[in-house]
Amino acid sequence: MRTTRKRILGPALVAATLASGHGVAAQELVWARYGDADSLDPHRATSTLSMQVWDQIYDTLLAFDMEGTPGPNMATSWEVSEDGLEYTFALADGILCHDGTPFDANDVKFTIDRAFGDNPSLTRTSWGPITGVEVLDPLSVKVTMSSKFGAFLPFLADSFSSMVCDTNTADTFGSSTAIGTGPFSLVEWVKGDQIVLAKNPEFTNLGDPVDNPGAPYIDTLIIRTVPEPQTRLAALRTGEVHIAEPPFDDVPAIQQSGDLDIIVAENTGQDVFWEFTVSRPPFDDIRARQAVAYGTDPQMAIDIIYSGLTNREWCPVARGVFGNDQEFCEQYGYPYDPDKAMELLAEMGYGPDNPLETTMFVWTGGNRHKLAEIFQAQLAQVGINAAIEIMDIGTMNARVKEQNESPDDPSPGTFDMMTWSWYDPDILYQLWHSPGAYSGFQNAELDAMLEETRTTIEPGARLEKVQAVIKYLMENAVHVGLYSPGWEWVFAVRPEVEGFKIGPFLHPIFTDVKIEG
Amino acid sequence: MARFIAQRLLAALVTIWIATIAVTLLIHLVPGDPVRIMYGSFQTTPEQLEEIRQRLGLDQPIWKQYLYYLGRLAQGDLGRSIVGDQPVADILLTRFPATLALTLTSLVIAVVVGMSLGFLAAYKRGTWVDAGAMVLAVIGVSMPHFWLGLLLLFLFALQLGWLPVAGGDWKSLILPALTLGLANAAVLARMTRSAMIDIFDQDFVRTARAKGLPRAVVLYRHALRSGLVPIVSMLGLQFAYLMGGAIVVENVFAWNGVGRLAIQAVFARDYPLIQGFILFFATVVALASVIVDVAYAFLDPRIRYS
Amino acid sequence: MTDTVTLAAHPEDAASARKTGFFRALLSSPTGIIGLAIVGLLLIVALAAPLLAPHDPLRMAAGPRLQPPSWQHWMGTDDFGRDVLSRIIYGAQLTLQIGAIAVGISLTSGLFLGLVAGYASGWAEKVLMRLVDVLFSFTEIVIALACLAIFGVGLTNAMIAIGIASIPFYARVTHSVVLVEKNKPYFEAAVAAGAGHGRLIFRHLLPNVVPTLIVVGTLGVSTAVLAAAGLSFLGLGAQPPQPEWGFMLSSSRDLISRAPWMMIFPGLAIAFTVLGFNLLGDGVREALDPRQRQR
Repeated sequence: MRTTRKRILGPALVAATLASGHGVAAQELVWARYGDADSLDPHRATSTLSMQVWDQIYDTLLAFDMEGTPGPNMATSWEVSEDGLEYTFALADGILCHDGTPFDANDVKFTIDRAFGDNPSLTRTSWGPITGVEVLDPLSVKVTMSSKFGAFLPFLADSFSSMVCDTNTADTFGSSTAIGTGPFSLVEWVKGDQIVLAKNPEFTNLGDPVDNPGAPYIDTLIIRTVPEPQTRLAALRTGEVHIAEPPFDDVPAIQQSGDLDIIVAENTGQDVFWEFTVSRPPFDDIRARQAVAYGTDPQMAIDIIYSGLTNREWCPVARGVFGNDQEFCEQYGYPYDPDKAMELLAEMGYGPDNPLETTMFVWTGGNRHKLAEIFQAQLAQVGINAAIEIMDIGTMNARVKEQNESPDDPSPGTFDMMTWSWYDPDILYQLWHSPGAYSGFQNAELDAMLEETRTTIEPGARLEKVQAVIKYLMENAVHVGLYSPGWEWVFAVRPEVEGFKIGPFLHPIFTDVKIEG
Repeated sequence: MARFIAQRLLAALVTIWIATIAVTLLIHLVPGDPVRIMYGSFQTTPEQLEEIRQRLGLDQPIWKQYLYYLGRLAQGDLGRSIVGDQPVADILLTRFPATLALTLTSLVIAVVVGMSLGFLAAYKRGTWVDAGAMVLAVIGVSMPHFWLGLLLLFLFALQLGWLPVAGGDWKSLILPALTLGLANAAVLARMTRSAMIDIFDQDFVRTARAKGLPRAVVLYRHALRSGLVPIVSMLGLQFAYLMGGAIVVENVFAWNGVGRLAIQAVFARDYPLIQGFILFFATVVALASVIVDVAYAFLDPRIRYS
Repeated sequence: MTDTVTLAAHPEDAASARKTGFFRALLSSPTGIIGLAIVGLLLIVALAAPLLAPHDPLRMAAGPRLQPPSWQHWMGTDDFGRDVLSRIIYGAQLTLQIGAIAVGISLTSGLFLGLVAGYASGWAEKVLMRLVDVLFSFTEIVIALACLAIFGVGLTNAMIAIGIASIPFYARVTHSVVLVEKNKPYFEAAVAAGAGHGRLIFRHLLPNVVPTLIVVGTLGVSTAVLAAAGLSFLGLGAQPPQPEWGFMLSSSRDLISRAPWMMIFPGLAIAFTVLGFNLLGDGVREALDPRQRQR
């Protein structure tokens, strides 16, 4: 921390200010978001809000290009053994952690060991079946797997694989300290209020899809929590805030007036979908699941709520993710067809006097509760009475799992508008391979198909395996895609801010950002 | 006096002790398996849950859990939050100054506005001033403070742009403090009025007036001072109400205090944080009431011996 | 709320006022009349909602989205094109239900606790009232939050939570009235005459507690309505598509600049209801306690 401060006051800053030609002191960018990070420890949270902060503090071994393909970053090259079980990475020389210590193979080993340690990473299984990490020399490291794992390389470009320096041994790590090799270093985190980051003058861009090869141009990045959309908009207008998610209903007016730029992230990997408690009635019956899918009109709902800022998503993996193909998925999809829904319900013995009773879980924020209200009204028209319960995403994850694990619960089974953002179709394995993230739909046939998506590495062959799974999930109405992207993907940016980019899978990048005037 | 303070502190300790029992019970009143509800998230295996159960001592009989809880509490350990896995005590302590600033500022607003209005109404008893003040007070009591907050926000921040909306400085304290303060000023105005009417009717005020002292002096020196006594005794309760009101108001203005934290914790079913909040809240309110009681005893010497 | 307790000191006045025509007294005070009128209006609106509401409160696209108040939609439409006036009218049903259930729970439980504690005396009374005092100092909102953390969110749970949270208050009021009654000659005489527990409690104590509780309960409806609206506003109470006023207020927040009517009318409805029960409570107190009226 001390070294960073000294450097800010040192020659780098003078050079930066002279170069900008304004003689203005430190450039400070304020980015407002609806909520705060849960933790600065990449193993202790899963929220997008947390990941977006990790992206600034930490770097990853690989990096995605704008198309979402992983390429070299802190690891300049790698070799995979014949049997596909050993990966050897060569690390770039000269990378420094924020505390001044060099970043090397020991830090990689520290990070992976930690992810599998006593208090393992919340997303441990996404690292794959890793059995060992070996430091060959300071700049090369070998990772061993127990079986082939096709999603390993993309994972190493994702924020969940953020490299944590081995000097993060204090018990304040993740809350008030966080040492990485990313473009910004942590100055202060006032929980619930703001995270203050200072530029890392030693940063070298090795693989991010931006123009700036070195340290960020801005000196300070403040990530502030401003929950109310209207307040964020007002703060954008007064200049208190430079970048923020606007209220959706105001976007057309903003676009018309042109006083703020609207940037919509693409290839976010975000998928919003229906899933069902299949362990008990009514959704143990495929017809009930299909009735929900036929009985709701996602296109109409997103047009009303998101003013055309998002897309109908037919697939269980979102646009930009390997295996996504709208045409392929649509053949197995459920177009809005209320009559068909009523027919299916009638077959099951439901009717106008005997509606299907259920509960829909929805997670807070992003206007999803409003979307749910539209779906609720549409479902009521076909004879499904769905109560809505709005909850935090963590609660929803736990409740969905609990529902699936309670087959004898006398109350009707629930369904939910689940959301996942993932960089690879391996998410389908994690969700639906038994025991499954939510203990939901599972059987041996699907398990075998999912195994193959992991062990098949060659892209053409893997695509076939992935699409077979997609077809199965959709035909059985297990995982029914609704729309993508779904949360925190729209940014309103003040006109004086230039160079703000959003990498694939919703990784905002600030190294190119300059504030003019 | 020392004995009086000791007595009050003891009473506060009893309150806090009961709160510790209540929060220990809380987790067991939740239907279902608390560990699964709290930690049963993405990718947690049954073995991990079992390990967490043991680590938290939730596999022990309840009285053991309670002793365990007290033991950790003695070391200032309120457990770790589920969201973000951080020490609950740290989270509460970093958030509390914001709540305290809001509560105390609104207490000052409530006392100044409420007592002036009540005093004026009593002084001008039976006139239109009295009637007007009391109509205002009834409206104030009836107005939901989150609505008052939205109206103030709409008017002063969004329409007129007089106040910043997203900053963390003192200016952003103005609207939440006004919202909370004005809502409680109405209650204080009604209390002050009836207390002052009692005083004005008492003999010593009449005697003072008969002696020919200027009216203002009579009012301020005698009446106000005696009138203060019952009102100060209500301040502890007022403080508690304001702390409670702050929970809602903080959410209207995104004020970064413990109240907003508490609501987020309920949404996230972050039970360690909810438990910590309740205990913390009870402690603060209990200590505040000790302070008020002691202040009251200084103001009114009779109370010390009763 | 605190000044209602003063009534407890004059229950014999209350008894006499009751005998000399409670309703005449109530109707002779302006607060009582206005309060009664507002509460009466609310009852009518709630009961006749299907007749009064121009539209189905849940029907989306009853009009275009986000229309300002007009002849077709007196209070405008919300972001789903639902008629705000119709939602407010149906919301009155929910609001009165909240008041009745929450006060019902706290009043009966508080009455029971207060009676038992006051009648029992000794250590039972001490322990019970100490516990009540402690719970009282936790404040209602924190108790309600704790209850919701246990039961989970939802309007029914919020009503129950508010009901439970107010029990300590009602117990204290009941207890203080019982203490006064117990020291009166008639009660001591009844004890001396060997009256049984049931007789003492139900024939002597209860009737004297009731007038005070009517006042406290009426005022309590306004507290309960405010609390429930607050919880719904925070997202812990009513869930979509319920036309609950606090919940409507909370959905108006994202649209506060574009559609201020979505924020103004539900707020007015809550304030109006709370005002009505406050005035009615004040009016009932004045009617029951003539001494209060002179002030």
